[in-house]
Amino acid sequence: MLEIHDLIAGYGGVPVLRGVSLRIAKGEIVGLLGANNAGKTTLINALSGLVVPMSGQILLDGKDVTALSAKARVRRGIIQVPEGRLVFPEMSVRENLLLGGINATARPRRATEMEYVLNLFPRLRERFSQRAGTLSGGEQQMLAIARGLMAGAKLLMLDEPSLGLSPRFVQYIFEIIERLHGAGLTILLVEQNLQLTLRYAGRCYVLERGHIVIEGAADAVRSDPRTRSAYLGL
Amino acid sequence: MDELLQALVEGLLIGSTYGLVALGMGLVYGVSGVVNFAHGDFILLGMYVCLALYSAFALDPYVSLIVTLPVMTLVGALVYRFLIRPIADQHLLMVVQLTLGLALVIQNGVLMLFGGQPQRTPSIVEAKLFVVGDVVLRGPQVIAAVISFALAGVLFVILRSTDIGRSIRAVHQNARAAALMGIDVGQVQTITFAMGIGIVAVAAALLSPGASIQPSDGLRYTVTTLLVIVLGGMTDFAGIMLGGLIIGCAEALGTVYLSETLGTLLPYAIFVLIMLFRPRGLSWGTG
Repeated sequence: MLEIHDLIAGYGGVPVLRGVSLRIAKGEIVGLLGANNAGKTTLINALSGLVVPMSGQILLDGKDVTALSAKARVRRGIIQVPEGRLVFPEMSVRENLLLGGINATARPRRATEMEYVLNLFPRLRERFSQRAGTLSGGEQQMLAIARGLMAGAKLLMLDEPSLGLSPRFVQYIFEIIERLHGAGLTILLVEQNLQLTLRYAGRCYVLERGHIVIEGAADAVRSDPRTRSAYLGL
Repeated sequence: MDELLQALVEGLLIGSTYGLVALGMGLVYGVSGVVNFAHGDFILLGMYVCLALYSAFALDPYVSLIVTLPVMTLVGALVYRFLIRPIADQHLLMVVQLTLGLALVIQNGVLMLFGGQPQRTPSIVEAKLFVVGDVVLRGPQVIAAVISFALAGVLFVILRSTDIGRSIRAVHQNARAAALMGIDVGQVQTITFAMGIGIVAVAAALLSPGASIQPSDGLRYTVTTLLVIVLGGMTDFAGIMLGGLIIGCAEALGTVYLSETLGTLLPYAIFVLIMLFRPRGLSWGTG
């Protein structure tokens, strides 16, 4: 479904990603692991169209989307749930969800999608009219994921969904991710939490200083001694 | 006592228009961080276009809106898209410089075309008076207040319950998250700037009937608008409207109770006093 070839991207002319290739098949959960500053967020920002690549190619269903704007990528179903959740704090849960489905592809189905995500996250239904800024961290993460689903995600990219959450919420969020996977959604999971990612992801990539150093099935990555070192940034 | 009441009511009426104009400026600031120092000169430009349309076709300022509203909204969109946006990522002072330059261009352009002597655009409602008890109000003042409050209300509803309004608030609250929703941030900024100048076009028509204008008046409007949005907490809707009313009253009271020149200083004095005790301005909320 998604292929990245030799992607070089960064900020202000300084490459953070130095030739990354990666593929995600339809219906897969792919884990993207790596230490801080390995380039994980840069990679998904390049996929979202927020970072313009210096070279390389991004293909979605075989079509080149490298030059498309962020808006055009959202319309095609490449959706990012950003690190830190970035909900709109002064708006209600409802308004956040409506904004999730504001792109031209998703807008006609907003009402049905809204029902779907509220059934998926009953807590959000309870908090429907509450300002997003007053939600707990776990609830904000639910909202951020729900907002991403509202956009009509085909590829859902979750950036550090477990960050700053209590263990109970982390467990809950990962169960939701599993359910979404069960429903056929393709997921790219960017995580610091090694154990959880290896448990839920089918395949994993390990990024180290802008390069993919390990790739393969979760079990193989788990037993690879290089994983630990890349992960610890040693 | 009657004098006080008269001044207060007049101040509230004119203040509603100041509030409306400042709402436009505050929206622009909220979504793009741009403070437009030519905002008042655009009001003046609108007023001179009303004057020109009156001289050429005997159009009443209110009727001129059919022309000035769409044209100025379009000009606003073009100014943002082709002048401000290309340098919006640069240092803040670059944009300040640019809008100040724009103010001078408008001011001198008007001076060149219309000359420097004070002029006025008449209107059929000018002589109409409303008498409420001991207070006598001029027609244009009442119309300006009614339309300003109505437009502020429309703006409020747009911001709260339409997709474009929610997009504007989304860009204000978190531009990166808005981009991830597929919102074209640059487009929202352009639309907001155009709306701000469209509001200015309406304000120009409301302030025109019977008012004496000269090319240097733009700066006064800009400064008044700045006072209002700073007082109102930059992006707080209710705070800005309230700020407009306060500045309007201060101006009216100053003109009645102090000399003409000293009177225009009263809004600044009140502004400084309020900011001393409430540095965040009149806003209660956080955003």
